Amino acid sequence: MICEHCQQRNATVTVTQVQNGQKVEHHYCDVCASQFHPFHAEFKQEPISIQQLLSNWFGSPTWQKVGEKQQTPPPQQTCPQCGFTYKQFLKEGKFGCPSCYDAFNEHLPKLFNRIQAGPQHIGKMPGAHSNVYVIKKQIEDIRKRMKLAVDEEQFEEAAKLRDEVKELEKQLQFEGGDVS
Amino acid sequence: MMIESFLERATPTWMRVEDDYSDIVISTRIRLARNLDGYRFPLVFSENEALQVEQAVTHAISDSSNLQHDYAYFAIKDLTPLQRQILVEKHLISPQLAKKEKVGSILLSEDESVSIMVNEEDHLRIQCMTASFQLQRAYEQANKIDRILEKSLPYAFRDTFGYLTSCPTNIGTGLRASVMMHLPALTLTGQMNQIINAMTRLGMTVRGIYGEGSENLGNVYQVSNQITLGKTEEDILADIQSVAEKIIQKERHARGKLMEKANLALEDRVYRALGTLTHARILTSEEAATCLSNVRLGVDLQLIKGISATALNECVVSMQPAFLQHYAGEALPPAERDRVRAKMLREALLAQQYTNKPMNGGKGEDLYDV
Repeated sequence: MICEHCQQRNATVTVTQVQNGQKVEHHYCDVCASQFHPFHAEFKQEPISIQQLLSNWFGSPTWQKVGEKQQTPPPQQTCPQCGFTYKQFLKEGKFGCPSCYDAFNEHLPKLFNRIQAGPQHIGKMPGAHSNVYVIKKQIEDIRKRMKLAVDEEQFEEAAKLRDEVKELEKQLQFEGGDVS
Repeated sequence: MMIESFLERATPTWMRVEDDYSDIVISTRIRLARNLDGYRFPLVFSENEALQVEQAVTHAISDSSNLQHDYAYFAIKDLTPLQRQILVEKHLISPQLAKKEKVGSILLSEDESVSIMVNEEDHLRIQCMTASFQLQRAYEQANKIDRILEKSLPYAFRDTFGYLTSCPTNIGTGLRASVMMHLPALTLTGQMNQIINAMTRLGMTVRGIYGEGSENLGNVYQVSNQITLGKTEEDILADIQSVAEKIIQKERHARGKLMEKANLALEDRVYRALGTLTHARILTSEEAATCLSNVRLGVDLQLIKGISATALNECVVSMQPAFLQHYAGEALPPAERDRVRAKMLREALLAQQYTNKPMNGGKGEDLYDV
């Protein structure tokens, strides 16, 4: 039997693998077998890469016939920082730099909705950001309470809450956060 | 610290813990992916950018007096292929970092529980490891390092997307929590496929011990979260915790059933494995991994006494090709490696059995509990 990797030398090593519950045997020569790390993946087919998935989901659909008009032409945005285009991002499955996230911003929520638990980060923030985040949350909560107070015609309470919001907005500006 | 001190120990000191979970969980790992704003990601950055990132990170680490450990720094390009491979075999660096020709470096804590990879797929990957099943402890350690480094490093972060990473699969928290588990009974009873399918639906993955694409050699699986955005760190850890606990429960149940229904076959399997490891003269890594898994199961089920889980962990690490060649002090062709592997395992296991008291109270020559 000939080695299935180099197709030249005689196969002397048999590798048995279990793939999806099925036993698969591979035959390699001494030389090729020695190049494979026993724990590594070279023996089996590479799993589908993230770039393949991204291209299929967000690039041109693979089932589209030649000449058929595309429903949504692939976007052509370019990241001003690194020059990466959205098309390149789909091809690589990776971003070029942090600014790519700003440049491709409009497409990303849809993408993250599919591959993540949602489009919004709700976890930890670096120190400089945590203040802004906390204040924003506080403002949001007070606004809700303010609306409730207005609905219940408790105008004095609403006015008090409005002042609290103003105070927090000042603080937010000081922290460098976006008031809107 | 010299690289040799990291290459010689088969298992670091942090691994030497045996607790309620160590019959099934080997280790827990937390990884945080971080990048610096204003620099392109390693996929496309220039060598100059790489150097600047590396300098910023090494300065941040050397300037921080609050870090628990001292860190040794190694540039990947300065290491020989064999040295790199040993670090991969010990899970201290990723295979991807080991392949870097120009950029890429590693900062290692002296006890090897923390490794900070610089310029791998992201600028920074903080990795913390603990023995057995200690998600919270590993996360706290990683979080502490992250909190210290963020004071001097301008992390790439956006309110909406969280920590920005090179790959969209790490965005948000940048957190990957992995629990490495030995699941021989679930594998033997054919339940692993079902578990893997269920895990995928829960946004988690099960992989071989060497990450993406690697097979489950020696019945060791790595359970980790797939989702990093839209969940808090606490939620991610809680999800992994409860799923891993479920798997532990299932594995214990399967082990119990095997002991009850197939005791003789199980004993036979376990002792044959021990026999092979203590007597074989040629062992491929595949056969050695399978036998070590069976012996480990025998130890966990108390069929075999006198061999510690730590010793078995050491065997699992040191039977790998690069480690073996380092141990032998020379490059070995595959056939020779199989011979050295058999010798090394034989000596390691026999030494264990002689240093521990035999089961019959030291009266006879029976070394095994037969």
